[in-house]
Amino acid sequence: MAVIETRGLVKRFGRVRALDGLDLVVPPGEIHGFLGPNGAGKSTTIRVLLGLLRKDGGEVRMLGGDPWRDAAALHRRLAYVPGEVSLWPNLTGGEAIDLLARLRGGLDPKRRAELLERFDLDPTKRGRSYSKGNRQKVALVAALASDVELLLLDEPTTGLDPLMEEVFTEYVDTFRHRGGTVLLSSHVLAEVERLCDRVSIIRNGKVVESGTLADLRHLTRTSIDVVLAGPPDGLAQLEGIHDFDVDGDRVRFQVETDAVDRAIGALHRIGIRTLIAQPPTLEELFLRHYGDRIRPGSAPEAE
Amino acid sequence: MSASTLTGTGLLTRVDLRRDRVVIASWTGVLLLMVVASAATAGTLYPDEATRVRAVHALNDSPAIVALYGPILDPNSIGELAMTKLTVLYAVFVAMLLIVVVRRHTRVEEESGRTELVGGTAVGRDAPLAAALVEAVGLSLTLGGLAALGNAACGLDVAGSVAFGALWAGTGLVAAGIAALTSQISASARTCAAWAAGTIAVLYVLRAVGDTGPQWLSWLSPFGWNTQVRAWSGTRWWLLLAYPALAAVLVGVATVLRAHRDLGSGLVAARPGPAEGSPRLADALALALKVHATAIVLWSVGVGVLGVVFGAITPGLSDLLDSLGMQDLIAKLGGYFLAAILSVVSVVISYFAVTVVAHTGRDEEDGRTEVVLATTTSRSRWFGASVVVALGGTAWLLVEMGIALWIGYVAASGPGVGNLLAAALAWVPAAWVTAALAALCFSVGPRWTAVGWVWPGAFITFEIVGELLEAPRWVLDLSPYQHVPAVPAEPWDWPAETGLAVVAALILVLAWWRFRARDIG
Repeated sequence: MAVIETRGLVKRFGRVRALDGLDLVVPPGEIHGFLGPNGAGKSTTIRVLLGLLRKDGGEVRMLGGDPWRDAAALHRRLAYVPGEVSLWPNLTGGEAIDLLARLRGGLDPKRRAELLERFDLDPTKRGRSYSKGNRQKVALVAALASDVELLLLDEPTTGLDPLMEEVFTEYVDTFRHRGGTVLLSSHVLAEVERLCDRVSIIRNGKVVESGTLADLRHLTRTSIDVVLAGPPDGLAQLEGIHDFDVDGDRVRFQVETDAVDRAIGALHRIGIRTLIAQPPTLEELFLRHYGDRIRPGSAPEAE
Repeated sequence: MSASTLTGTGLLTRVDLRRDRVVIASWTGVLLLMVVASAATAGTLYPDEATRVRAVHALNDSPAIVALYGPILDPNSIGELAMTKLTVLYAVFVAMLLIVVVRRHTRVEEESGRTELVGGTAVGRDAPLAAALVEAVGLSLTLGGLAALGNAACGLDVAGSVAFGALWAGTGLVAAGIAALTSQISASARTCAAWAAGTIAVLYVLRAVGDTGPQWLSWLSPFGWNTQVRAWSGTRWWLLLAYPALAAVLVGVATVLRAHRDLGSGLVAARPGPAEGSPRLADALALALKVHATAIVLWSVGVGVLGVVFGAITPGLSDLLDSLGMQDLIAKLGGYFLAAILSVVSVVISYFAVTVVAHTGRDEEDGRTEVVLATTTSRSRWFGASVVVALGGTAWLLVEMGIALWIGYVAASGPGVGNLLAAALAWVPAAWVTAALAALCFSVGPRWTAVGWVWPGAFITFEIVGELLEAPRWVLDLSPYQHVPAVPAEPWDWPAETGLAVVAALILVLAWWRFRARDIG
């Protein structure tokens, strides 16, 4: 049974449909990347899963329960890190970590100490004197030191420096090896690419693409950069080949995944001197769904 | 300060004014209403000189009333009699408004990080403070001007009206200076608020003690000056200069302190705290108590001192209550001595509950609530913790007030006073109704929490204005405080107390029901 399952999930804020029929399935033991720009509905989804927001339509199950009705009971089994962490001004970081962990049902003191050291976090400072990154670390330590089955992480690394992101990645990886499930909302594609088994791309409150990275790559094109022994006659006319560009004996083009075999066969018949084939990056996947928003000259969508 | 560090002051002032338009308009409106209602009804309340003189003597003979309102220096002046409550006591509300406004645009902005955001633009380092002070000066002068106009329009002496307006404006200026100075002390906006409120309380008590004992103490407090200006006859116009002078000194010191500290820091460097949380800090109620601990201690100290002082200056109660003629007069002016004190104090203590609920609203807006509700803490627990601290704290402070009044009274006049604990407890259900209304506003949505601040002020306005204008009974009855018996002068009233408690409980259930069903954030 899936750890998280939503079907046709709808959440309205006044006239705005923040979630507009969202389908999301996260099976146990998976790190699921939740991709989309600000305002796409990532945080709203997580807040519905936490029972903080009441859904207006559709189905939602989490850890086998109803996130609205069984909120408190389900929360014993999960930890949540918000994107924008706000701490109590007069509590120290250490107090906040222990408080959150105790409210959840306790933590592993050894792992707490280890995390504090790895994240280089001073737990004696008061909440108001922490920087954004350090506030985020407090929430991360509290979450990662708890023994839970599910982590809901909402852009958890936005304030962290690259070194700390490394530590974060390592701990999330360990968490997976212990059998945990993670929903990781992010717009840091490299992080998602490194950690996630599957990703869902969300746009305007709907999941527009979901699958393993391999699945998603299947839907896009591989770039080929090749130096040929002879003239590339007839190559450009092959089905599934795009953006064909000839520069002397060097040929560059994009090929659809199911046309790769045909294209390589044709190249082989002409004679290959050197060949570079590049799978599509996550950026390219992402741009396929959001390209219209960032193409120069097009007005950004109001959200 | 220099020209470059003040860049952007004009722009910031306009932004500040825009953000404050509701709070300034409503607060000014209420204060002006008080002025006009008091000025307009003085003629009918005291139709001839004989009633006036008798009323003044009754007032001046009662140290508790003098401690509350200040003495009346000229028994023949109708203006001074009409403005009894406004000269000192309501000037405290003027001071509070100015403190709220100045603190809101200085330390609160700094703590939230918005000053940093603004500081990154072409805005000078001193501009936020300067903008807050420009607004404060404008607001003080406007308030004073309106008060003068209101008094004069109601037929009171014009020169006196002007002097009265000037002393309100002066109080505002001094309060703005106090707020500017106290905002430099701590990195915490709440601590700064406590310092400002504490300063006002000390100045008020200093005057109360001075007015009823060693007179020179009154001269140390701007609230004492309010009486000593003698606005209505033989005016000491020169004394009006003392307000801007003191305000200038306070602002000067604030500017120097501001220049010597970093943005976001206080004068006292933040000390490192415990690296681990206490095992007791493990549920929503423990968290709420921890968060409000400092406030509870400060309120307790303030209430304790105020109680002992007022108790000590209360005269032999039984003697006074025996002389029937005097009793009538005093009843007309707002109740019996201790009951009168408690009626004011209970409204002030209700604000403790409002601050607790307001804090819960801010927790939600800042995102702390969602972190807690993402744990096993249920919404009911979270809501309950806030309500328990708000209601429990209010009850504790009133009980403490009763005990402190009793201690002060017995220490000064010996035994013989009625049950002051019961007198204080009588106000608890009414204060709970106010607290419950604040919780109801919060339950509508975090952005509605601010409406909770309106209730205590609105109720006291209903009562005072309604009484002066002889409004129909049901208007007065809208205020929960109206139903409280004036114990110890009147007997305890079970139906009224039970009724108020039931109303408070019903409102709380409604608020809880609504909070459980709404979106968080």
